[in-house]
Amino acid sequence: MVVGIVVGVVLLSFALMYNGLVRKKNQVENVFASMDAMLKKRTDLIPNLVSTVQQYMQHERETLNELTEMRAKAVSGQLSADEKIALQNQFSKALGGIMVAVENYPDLKADQNFIHLQSSLNEVEEQISAARRAYNAAVTSYNNAIEMLPTNILASMMNYQRKNVFEISEAERQNVDVKGLFNQ
Amino acid sequence: MKTIEELKAYYETDLLPILRVLDRDRKKILYRLFLGILLSAVAPIISLYFFFGPVSLMVICFPVWIGVIIYLAISIGSYKKSFKVGIIEQIVRAIDPNLSYNASKAVDKAHFKHSELFKNSWNEYKGDDYVQGMVGKTSLEFSELHVQHVSTDSEGRRRASTVFRGLYLVADFNKSFKGKTVILPDTAEKLLGSIGSMLQSWNVTRGELIKMEDVAFEKEFVVYGDDQIEARYILSTSLMERIVAYKKKSNRPVRLSFIGNNVHVAISYKKSLFEPRIFRSLLSFKPIQEYFEDLSLAIDLVEDLNLNTRIWTKD
Repeated sequence: MVVGIVVGVVLLSFALMYNGLVRKKNQVENVFASMDAMLKKRTDLIPNLVSTVQQYMQHERETLNELTEMRAKAVSGQLSADEKIALQNQFSKALGGIMVAVENYPDLKADQNFIHLQSSLNEVEEQISAARRAYNAAVTSYNNAIEMLPTNILASMMNYQRKNVFEISEAERQNVDVKGLFNQ
Repeated sequence: MKTIEELKAYYETDLLPILRVLDRDRKKILYRLFLGILLSAVAPIISLYFFFGPVSLMVICFPVWIGVIIYLAISIGSYKKSFKVGIIEQIVRAIDPNLSYNASKAVDKAHFKHSELFKNSWNEYKGDDYVQGMVGKTSLEFSELHVQHVSTDSEGRRRASTVFRGLYLVADFNKSFKGKTVILPDTAEKLLGSIGSMLQSWNVTRGELIKMEDVAFEKEFVVYGDDQIEARYILSTSLMERIVAYKKKSNRPVRLSFIGNNVHVAISYKKSLFEPRIFRSLLSFKPIQEYFEDLSLAIDLVEDLNLNTRIWTKD
């Protein structure tokens, strides 16, 4: 009788831990997928941005071409998760550069189309940042579970590996555009 | 008008003459109150002198008492009304001329119900001192509210428990969103630490627990919502800092919810707001400063949470 109860409790707690781990892993994947969707949204804005901006911008042709190429790479769909992230970091850098350069083109700044695009970009950047924070929260909760007692024993049996949190790349950190922030 | 110094100057030049008139009314009311009490006390003596037995009470005392109560209620009511129009409305307009004031109206019941800030059931909804208008690009409305659950016990006595009492604000939020995010004071985690946090995650009536990365914010508040990403989209790192600062400034329990593209804020008070003094002189700066601070706390919400920054797709 007692043995039966002990076995029952052990089995039940195993099942609960197992489900908890799976839920955490799925949460990470789920949030990554949402983040990917946001990043895709930003990629979709690029052609529009390039076509609006290039009529005005004379000296940034190279950056614009770069952006178009990057977009082609992003939509080709043959990238691993890490490559995707690296590419998106490049995107952020190039977009940041364009937004700083906009300051030199008053006509462009007044263009209705551009104003609309700019707010769409702000929106999508804000959503990406939210998704990134949600991803990091999910990964932290997952990592805690696979490293802390007692779930770590089960996690190693299930062969769950630590995942990396999203770090802001060095390039982006340097690119905090204070001037742009004040002008918004 | 933003600062206490400006208010002081405004008090000297504009409010003091009105207060002097109102204070005369206040003294009249005190006089009537004194007369009323005297009359009520004398009534039984007179009635017993002229008549005998309980009939005399019925014929003379009850009508006198009821008459006194009605008369006093009417005169206090009209005193309060002229105070609110003369003083509170003037202060509201001096802070921001774009705002309108209504002494008897309150924030709509539907807003309160919709906000999901209070899960306790309630059946009595009262409020007054309604302010409404545009602060920059943001529409704002607020009023004082007193929401209670009233029941009668087995002996037929009325029992009222307060669900919420204080300032209730509704403002247009600067980002659009679909779901709901509710921010409540964090009592469990403060008292019980990580066990409290675990208990919070089991709170099924509230939806998903959302852990934020801002330590100062997490210490003060607990966040529930139906979408992890949207909650973080609304609660940007800067907004979290602003909410913590706002809580600190108000020095009272603050609850916020983001629902239907609006932000709802409930600031709890233990006292009734924007009411005139009756037993003490009106000719004092201190109560005026209090009205001003409570009104400013509400009106500054838009600036304090940076709601006029409209750089996202919502206009």
